[in-house]
Amino acid sequence: MSDFATFWAPVLITAGINSIIALGLYITMSSGPLSVAHAALAGMGGYLGAVLTTNFGWPFPLAILAGMLLGFVTGALLGLLIVRMNELVAGLTTLGFGETMAVIAFNIDYIGGANAFTGIPLRTTLPLVYVVLAVILFVAWRYDHSRLGYADSPVTADAMGIDITWVKSITFGIGAAIAALGGVLRAHYILVQGPEDMGFFISVGFLIFVVFGGSYVFWGPLFGAMTLTILPELLRFSAKDRFIIYGVLLTVMVILRPQGLITRRSMR
Amino acid sequence: MELFLQQVLNGLMIGSTYAVVALGFSLVFSVMRVVNMAHPEFFMAGAFGAYLTIRHVTTNFFGVLAGGMLVAAVIGLVVERLAIRPVRGRYVMIPFIATSGVGIALQHLAERVFGSDPVAIPPVVPTVSYTLGQLSVRNTKWGRATRAVAERPEVAAAFGVDVNFVSRLTIGISALMAGAAGVSIGILYTSAWAFMGLLYGLKSFVCMLVAGNRHIEGVMAIGLLLGVLEALVSGYVSSTLRDAVAFGVLVVVLVFKPGGLFGSYSV
Repeated sequence: MSDFATFWAPVLITAGINSIIALGLYITMSSGPLSVAHAALAGMGGYLGAVLTTNFGWPFPLAILAGMLLGFVTGALLGLLIVRMNELVAGLTTLGFGETMAVIAFNIDYIGGANAFTGIPLRTTLPLVYVVLAVILFVAWRYDHSRLGYADSPVTADAMGIDITWVKSITFGIGAAIAALGGVLRAHYILVQGPEDMGFFISVGFLIFVVFGGSYVFWGPLFGAMTLTILPELLRFSAKDRFIIYGVLLTVMVILRPQGLITRRSMR
Repeated sequence: MELFLQQVLNGLMIGSTYAVVALGFSLVFSVMRVVNMAHPEFFMAGAFGAYLTIRHVTTNFFGVLAGGMLVAAVIGLVVERLAIRPVRGRYVMIPFIATSGVGIALQHLAERVFGSDPVAIPPVVPTVSYTLGQLSVRNTKWGRATRAVAERPEVAAAFGVDVNFVSRLTIGISALMAGAAGVSIGILYTSAWAFMGLLYGLKSFVCMLVAGNRHIEGVMAIGLLLGVLEALVSGYVSSTLRDAVAFGVLVVVLVFKPGGLFGSYSV
């Protein structure tokens, strides 16, 4: 029991939160753009939620909703901005956006600046994380079968009379809102929200969850986030070694199996 | 006025680094349609190469420069063989993600080997800018020649051009240039750091996107300009906002001219 409380509970909570953010990235990427901004979006949600519960005494559910709203609006605007760009430039723009947000968070003293925002109350529990994850999985499952989900094939979508610009920007917003939700949960679990959580490496970590698991069906990112969070803990890799392995894994996966481990065909 | 001139001079020094690193990016992209995200790590390797050379071999400036460039080129050729050649010619996002993975692995490998704090590089004679200028001009001509050949890879191959050799040569040259830039920055700031490539690389990439990759001179001009702009912002406004300048400029330019100021090759 003590083994569960000291080792498994933190690992499972982290894995659950990572899965939520990875699913947000999955939904954003299903409409086309590669996003390297999801750590920043999660961080923005985390900051807002933490400030609302800590400094203004808002109830936790309202803080979650506020964080998601911020994520949705920011994500939809970012999606609208990059919709005309080619995929490569779009990806780099999200990268630039994420880094800029980290720099800005670093410079705002109200939210702790370089010292991070601390004193956040503990609100996130293991059951809560998995209830939320179940809801998000249901959303992702419905999404895969919805009209919006067809946006991953622009020609089909266009033929069905779907306005691609709006769909892409709204899809980006939904994915961003889910990432922000994960961010609020994370801030109320680790009780610190710092600018380094918003940076490039953290975003690439989420990207690796999706690329490793597969970005064609929602089981992929879930599998990727769970495996790549829990396995390194079991094998007790240090944080530095983990990134060396992540990097090599990303390269090898994309060369040998760019569709990810789990595809639609392997689900049948 | 003195502050202004000082800042412009500082800006030109940093800007020449952006220009040279961006040149390597656009050289590889225009020849092979590969966005080499491991390119900034060749720059980092150059700085560590300089550090190793000074500690173990020689303190002669040209020796140090050669040492840094050599280390960068060796790493460049290994990356070319393992991560770029298998994905060359595939959809543009695939080499992008593959080389991103290599970049992350190299950064954390360097952190593992050299520690997470910057290592100090003893000062050497700073005649760097001129050497770099010379190098880049020569490579501009070379870049044009190769680009002419590589404009249509299948035609070039039909005429007996060894595409793998061109690939090795292009990555090798870009790594040499990045290595030289890494040596110069390492000497300028007398330190080398495992993650130094990230910010310089990103900003150099921004220069290429803002200029568009059709004209190498444009890329270099934007590099110098960005360096000066950053130095002025950090001199007159706030040094912490410096890093936001590049991305601000990028977003504004890409919204109005998605192909960059001077035009781009399509992906």
